Amino acid sequence: MSGVPARGARRWTWVALVVVVGVALGVGASPGSPAPTTAQRVAAIDALVRCPSCEGISVADSSASTAVAIRQAVTARVHAGQSDAQIDAFLVSRYGPSILLRPPVGGATAWVWVLPPVAVAVGLACLAVVFWRRRRPPPVTVTDEDRALVARALAARLVDADDGANVGRGA
Amino acid sequence: MTGTATGPAVESASDPLDQATRRRHTARWAAGGALVVGAALVALLATRPPETATEVATPLVGQVAPRLVGPTVTGATFDLATLRGRWVVVNFFASWCAPCQQEQPELVAFAYAHRRPGQAVLVGVVFDDAASTARAFMRSTGATWPAVVDRGGQIGLDYGVRGPPETFLVSPGGTVVAHFDGPMTSASLDYWLGRAIGGGR
Repeated sequence: MSGVPARGARRWTWVALVVVVGVALGVGASPGSPAPTTAQRVAAIDALVRCPSCEGISVADSSASTAVAIRQAVTARVHAGQSDAQIDAFLVSRYGPSILLRPPVGGATAWVWVLPPVAVAVGLACLAVVFWRRRRPPPVTVTDEDRALVARALAARLVDADDGANVGRGA
Repeated sequence: MTGTATGPAVESASDPLDQATRRRHTARWAAGGALVVGAALVALLATRPPETATEVATPLVGQVAPRLVGPTVTGATFDLATLRGRWVVVNFFASWCAPCQQEQPELVAFAYAHRRPGQAVLVGVVFDDAASTARAFMRSTGATWPAVVDRGGQIGLDYGVRGPPETFLVSPGGTVVAHFDGPMTSASLDYWLGRAIGGGR
């Protein structure tokens, strides 16, 4: 009875452990309560609406009168049963799309997302072309004129060397 | 070098003293130019008229004017809908706002010029200010048009106002024709009003 448990019992302990850990991970990884409370929804919306009379902060972080008014309106509309999209649409219809801290993609705003990757791609392509050209210098074609020039220069050098040798010997 | 100069390259390199003088002259010209540009900029900014309003393109332009109902600073009740058939200038203001103080005499002049029945009317909306101070501000400047108290800032929100002074031009049909940010003048209001009437809206 006492002492080391039987081999079978130990195996069952392992199985139970695996089951418990698996269930815990599954529950933990799944999203929390499916329906957020109205307060949670109001807070989530407020955090993504720009304060219209401030510089780059949300109405949740501002105590400006405009921010207070928007928080009130959001609360009233959430309680009235409006969806997040409806509330966003209402604010956009009054202040324009810049009122949302995460403006919707579409129209002119789409360029903001499209242009940077395009610019990076074009830049990389240009760099690649430049490096590729630098690594492979253009093939040199030697003309007869070039050959004649080199021959003349070599001949002149030989004469100079002879002169130098003569001077050195004379000194 | 000391022999006969045969090319332009030899000539330019021949006199370093002359080159230094030329460089000094260039520097003097550049400094003079910068001075003139700076002086012109100062003159331009000093003689420029004070900050004026700009027309802003907001989603409300072309839409039906949002509901504007509420008590005025003098205790009366106001409803924008009762002014259908007339041009209305809706002005969001506050007594603490310096451009509003600058703008107020111009609005008074505009109201006086349009005092005949049937002409354009002015309506103020108090933006983030106490009704009592707004009333004192209106009285001290001789403004007699209604000023609506915007408790909770919901009217300002409905009109998408970011900060006073902001002004809306509402057509006799109740449509927002234009939205201005900054202090208006009587002349600019007349200009925009004439343009809107000419536009047939």
